[in-house]
Amino acid sequence: MNIKTDNVRISFGSAEILKGIGVEIHDREFVGIIGPNGSGKSTLLKCIYRVLKPDSGCIWLGSEELKHLPVRESARRLAVVAQHNYYNFEFSVREVVLMGRAPHKKALERDNAEDYRIVQECLETVEMVDFADRSFSTLSGGEQQRVILARALAQKTPCLVLDEPTNHLDITHQLQLMKIVRTLGVTVVSAIHDLNIAAAFCDRIYVMKDGRIAGAGTPEEVLTPELIRRIYQVEAEVVRDSRGNMHILFL
Amino acid sequence: MRRGIGNNRNKVLGSAAFATAFTVLLVLLVFSVLASITFGNADISLKDVYSVVAYELFHADSLSDCGQGAVHDVVWLIRFPRVILALCVGMGLSVCGVVMQAIVKNPLADPYILGISSGASLGATLAIMLGVGTFFGSNFVGVMAFIGALLTSFSVIGIANMGGRANAGKLILAGMAVNAVCSAFSSFAIYIANDNNGAAEVARWTMGNLSAASWEDNRVILPVIVGGTLVFWTQFRNLNLMLLGDETSVTLGTDLHKARLAYLILSSVMIGFAVYCAGMIGFVGLVIPHVVRMFFGTDHKRLIPLCALLGASFLIWADVLSRIILKNAEMPVGILVSMIGAPCFIYLMVRRRYGFGGAGE
Repeated sequence: MNIKTDNVRISFGSAEILKGIGVEIHDREFVGIIGPNGSGKSTLLKCIYRVLKPDSGCIWLGSEELKHLPVRESARRLAVVAQHNYYNFEFSVREVVLMGRAPHKKALERDNAEDYRIVQECLETVEMVDFADRSFSTLSGGEQQRVILARALAQKTPCLVLDEPTNHLDITHQLQLMKIVRTLGVTVVSAIHDLNIAAAFCDRIYVMKDGRIAGAGTPEEVLTPELIRRIYQVEAEVVRDSRGNMHILFL
Repeated sequence: MRRGIGNNRNKVLGSAAFATAFTVLLVLLVFSVLASITFGNADISLKDVYSVVAYELFHADSLSDCGQGAVHDVVWLIRFPRVILALCVGMGLSVCGVVMQAIVKNPLADPYILGISSGASLGATLAIMLGVGTFFGSNFVGVMAFIGALLTSFSVIGIANMGGRANAGKLILAGMAVNAVCSAFSSFAIYIANDNNGAAEVARWTMGNLSAASWEDNRVILPVIVGGTLVFWTQFRNLNLMLLGDETSVTLGTDLHKARLAYLILSSVMIGFAVYCAGMIGFVGLVIPHVVRMFFGTDHKRLIPLCALLGASFLIWADVLSRIILKNAEMPVGILVSMIGAPCFIYLMVRRRYGFGGAGE
């Protein structure tokens, strides 16, 4: 399922955060959004996952416009792994993941065996089965993030939004999470800080700066020393390793 | 350290344990109702007590002797309605405590957090001190308290919804502000009336008391509380989502705005009736939810029914104690609940290392 935005604008007070953003993520494509802090990456994603409402512009999820979809329906099409998930109450890991089934449930419907099977399967995918009965609040930041990914997977959506999902993760789990997402075969749009991770996993990259799109294309096209200097004001060198994968070295 | 030693404690009990606990608590509640009517100042034998109950329930002709007289009146018109009222109030306070804690996402919330207690006190104070609302009949104090409770909670909900959607923080702040206003006016009314007897009556009323129980009131409050509890039980998924916050809930397909409003109104009505019948009984609504959470976690599918049953039994026994602990006198049940309940709660909290969920290290 494709995701498309057209001329999306949003302001907080007098500050315009998004100044007419148009992006298109094709079916089953893995698209990264890079850019400095405050460039509007998260704001754009929040518009897509409906936590923020754009002041103007359109967002399509598949063939329907987002604002005409009920939230239950959009949650069946699009799942989210966001940055912070802190809960003031104790839930077990299994309960947290089970909440991912909520958009598929009618008001009075009970959780059935199928739901529990999906939860189990998603926990296996993120390698958190052994933690299923642990209290969510006792997990480390990285473990919590994997549980949240499992919850998003339990939604069984054709689209996935990752809002800087690897922030709390060590390198092992950063790579693990990105590999899992990569193999899902769903449409993914992800805000990414680490340019090397972006280069390794994205089909295409959008570059944002000051609420505008400052570049778009494949990692090879976008991640050039010139663009990195223009966007981040740092000098960089792009090299290829023995397997032909690109790496960005900061000088 | 938590992960090493605390491993077992961090586990949440499974569904078999829930089924067992539910059954045990249900049996306990039935037992509590039947046992508690045998306690009281009047000396009535067990056989007489149950003969009266059996006569009233089944209208067996063989027991028709028990259909009237002092023993019948004490058991059927005083003790039994009182036990049922304790059941309702305990259940209502516990369930509404759970719901309020979910709505404002704060483990310190109790059923009175939206200013219901101070609103009810203001209503009661105006009735007692200034005689406002005497045309409501004999229980005009209760009626005024009910009106006060509903008016304050609805105004808190209204204030929190002004200028954008209500969220947890706005609800708590609005509740505190309205609380302060109502308490100030209550104090003002007590001060200008300068009536010591009245002041004592207000104080007694705010401590909570189940002695005014009657079948007429129970016919209203029992369906309201049990019905409300069942409604909230069906809403377990939304209540769970509330704890994750509005943003996460939207990504999980539920916009909680309307649900929150509906839950606030329903619980205000439930608590309003509890206040009308029994005044204010603190502590139950705060602590019963936490006790259940310590053992069964936060999933509202389990929390709501277990809190309802435990809260009901708890208040029944607290009321029994309040009736018999002083010779020939009664202690306000609210005082007793806090005196006995709070130390037990502290003990449990320390033993289970309960940190209200993730707050403790």
